[in-house]
Amino acid sequence: MHRRRVEEAIFKGLMIASITIVAGSLLSIVAILAWKGLPALNIAMVTQTPKGGYYLGKEGGILNAIVGSLYLATGATVLAFIISLMVALFLQREYIGKTRFAGLVRLSLDILWGIPSIVYGAFGFAIMLYMGIRASLLGGIIVLTLLEIPILTRALDEVVRMIPKDLKEASYALGTTRLETSFKVVARQALPGIITAVLLAFGRGIGDAASILFTAGYTDRIPTSLFDPVASLPLAIFFQLGTPFPEVQARAYASAVILLVIILSISIVSRLLTKRLARNTVK
Amino acid sequence: MTVDQGNNIITLNTVSKKTIVSRRRLAELVSTRLMLAATAFVGALVLIIAIGLFLKARPILEANSLGELLFSSTWRPSRGEFGFFPFIMGTLWVTILAGLIAMPISILGALYLAEYAPKRISALMKPAIDLLAGIPPVVYGIWGLLALAIGGINIGFNVLTGGIVLAIMVIPVIMSVSEEVFRMVPQEIKEASLAIGATKWETAKNVVIRNSLPGLAAATILGFSRAFGETMAVLMVVGNIARVPSSVLDPAYPLTALIANNYGEMMSIPLYDSALLLAALILFLAVVFFNVAARLVLAKIQQRWA
Amino acid sequence: MNSACIDIRNLNVFYDGHTALKNISLSIPHRQITAIIGPSGCGKTTLLRSINRLIDFSDGVKVSGEILVDGQNILGPKADVTSLRKKIGLISQKPSPLPMSVYDNVAYGPRIHGMRDKKELDKTVRNCLETAGLWEELKDRLRTSATKLSVGQQQRLCLARSLAVKPEILLCDEPTSALDPVSSQNIENKLAELKKYYTIVIVTHNIHQAMRLADYVVHLYLGELVEYGPANEVFQKPKEDRTRAYINGTAFKELEIDSQINLKGKVCPLNFVFAKEALETRCREEWKPTARR
Repeated sequence: MHRRRVEEAIFKGLMIASITIVAGSLLSIVAILAWKGLPALNIAMVTQTPKGGYYLGKEGGILNAIVGSLYLATGATVLAFIISLMVALFLQREYIGKTRFAGLVRLSLDILWGIPSIVYGAFGFAIMLYMGIRASLLGGIIVLTLLEIPILTRALDEVVRMIPKDLKEASYALGTTRLETSFKVVARQALPGIITAVLLAFGRGIGDAASILFTAGYTDRIPTSLFDPVASLPLAIFFQLGTPFPEVQARAYASAVILLVIILSISIVSRLLTKRLARNTVK
Repeated sequence: MTVDQGNNIITLNTVSKKTIVSRRRLAELVSTRLMLAATAFVGALVLIIAIGLFLKARPILEANSLGELLFSSTWRPSRGEFGFFPFIMGTLWVTILAGLIAMPISILGALYLAEYAPKRISALMKPAIDLLAGIPPVVYGIWGLLALAIGGINIGFNVLTGGIVLAIMVIPVIMSVSEEVFRMVPQEIKEASLAIGATKWETAKNVVIRNSLPGLAAATILGFSRAFGETMAVLMVVGNIARVPSSVLDPAYPLTALIANNYGEMMSIPLYDSALLLAALILFLAVVFFNVAARLVLAKIQQRWA
Repeated sequence: MNSACIDIRNLNVFYDGHTALKNISLSIPHRQITAIIGPSGCGKTTLLRSINRLIDFSDGVKVSGEILVDGQNILGPKADVTSLRKKIGLISQKPSPLPMSVYDNVAYGPRIHGMRDKKELDKTVRNCLETAGLWEELKDRLRTSATKLSVGQQQRLCLARSLAVKPEILLCDEPTSALDPVSSQNIENKLAELKKYYTIVIVTHNIHQAMRLADYVVHLYLGELVEYGPANEVFQKPKEDRTRAYINGTAFKELEIDSQINLKGKVCPLNFVFAKEALETRCREEWKPTARR
């Protein structure tokens, strides 16, 4: 009996230690960024584009990167959402059934989910070279869309599959088509899940650097057309960190704080919206 | 009460009724075609990427032997020597170390949240874990740099730093899936174990974990494939020296970092571009292998436990 | 119009090779209540779901034979399932309010079938809610979410929603099994009123309910049609032993428990319901249920 109790105590200790490590790393990430980044953070950072000599420590901000990232992530999320929603709805059994095709598509989605973003970046760049497209907002959006499709489709597929069968049948019994039921009942019931999935994909899109390293380019200006190169927050952080000047590196930390704030707001908005919208759905 | 359910409530004339029906039918038809097209595209995307990468990697596969590419440690692109062995080993070292750190922490943590933790703590940890999962790689990279590599603990740029950063990145992924898996174990089974006098830990060990094995395997695979393909966070802390590491304190140069650091710049060197896409192809094939193997293993496990 | 509204000919249904319905042939009469009775797992629900083709959504299902609704074979390749389902309303076992307001639930069908005019919609919603006996209770709460209603109200809402697309036939799959006695009574009364306008098919394992409501009775047992005919004939002098056994078995056991509770002198309504439920479950378990879906 004694040995059993000691074993239990040891493992419980280990479990608490594990949770502490997780909570501790989150706190440490936030604390270190705040400590290093906040002193360099000022209003110019978020309202100005880089002026001449910015990367040597002169005036300016990273508005180009903030706006660029929002353009990239918004464009990609919209495109990915349209495609993913169609795929997720089509994966319902009244469309695709229990066919081998369905299994194949799900396997394909799993593989796409696992493909590293740098591979998407390299593949996308190779295609762009072949087609003669320069590194641009368009190129970045396309590659980010590819990256987001598996994330979004898998999440939406899961949400759609959770819809109670009774609910769909109640709608079909009124003489609705699959399209009508999908959009008026399934999408409505799944709305909280859909929002969470979309914001998750948006977060991944805005934070990813490897896929747009070659495909989106980098510029100090805010792009005015789809064919202009575009800056992005993660790359802004990466490049500023790469300079040998401590004041520019400090700006990298400040930029990371901005990125973290964006991610945090997405997560809060997602939580609030889900809670609000869940009130109208069938439990 | 009057039953006023006459058949004359809806007074649509027959013509507009017909157009409505045909419009609905058309919408159904067109939407089904579009959805099929989108689904076929997603299904074919893997194949498209595979073919694209293979076509671009073919020149180097024709110029050098596969054995030499995979097992030679000499990386001198200017002389046409492309030995990927140090990079493959770099990826393996970092990924396996991250997995070794992340696995026990994630599973024990998930078990605690699902079985032991007071409600308040699990309610607090859930958003924290979600947030941790959403933090961009670059931010993890900065943290690794400031907290581990140069500042704080000061262990330098090496496999250990990369492994720890990656582990912290994948822990939320593995942990949240594992917690869900643990929570799906039916209460009755746990009670049956407790009823014969097993302690909570014995129940967790013998019943909860055993019942969750397929799910835990899936969670681990998810975590590994995330760690394996991570680029920016690792690149920033792992040292990037093309030598096969012999201990965790040696620097490494994973495949992903190789592509990120060199692609798009060294295009003047012949075959360099092809070599980097071969690196991408290797990563891609590894992901395909992971997924297919995982499906086979999961099917086996499920067969045995079902 | 033919007196037979639904004509079922040689209907066979298989799930993954296992036979759920064997060679069923019967005619369901126009504007009457037809009750399908029989123990659980005997194919009652399958028969019902065949009539509006919801059976299409079951896995590994194969159907042969013919079901004629207004002379058209709905199992044929040319059948228009969507307009068929508009013609046939369904009240399911568990109420299934759609995730929207009370008003939108009822207006859902008419809107899809092309009704855009606000006044017309208002009128339809009001009529249907009145028919379902919900108008008085809910007229000030039309904008609240349908999921907030009580289960009994939800079931009547589902009735109103079905009526809003102007069906000719109403299929009811154990419509009162999830409800308390008062709500059940409510639904039963509505169905009795509605048979003036609709052909109603009701699946029930509550023999008393069938006795109270039905004009015609279909007795299914293990996928076979045992007996079929006017209610008074089937209940009073069943031709088949199996029907007699089923009717007596269920009815007798319920009477037995009724009297036991009465003997104690105190009738506690809640206990009474529980006792009946327990008994029904026991009865159901005695008929080894076969795989249902």
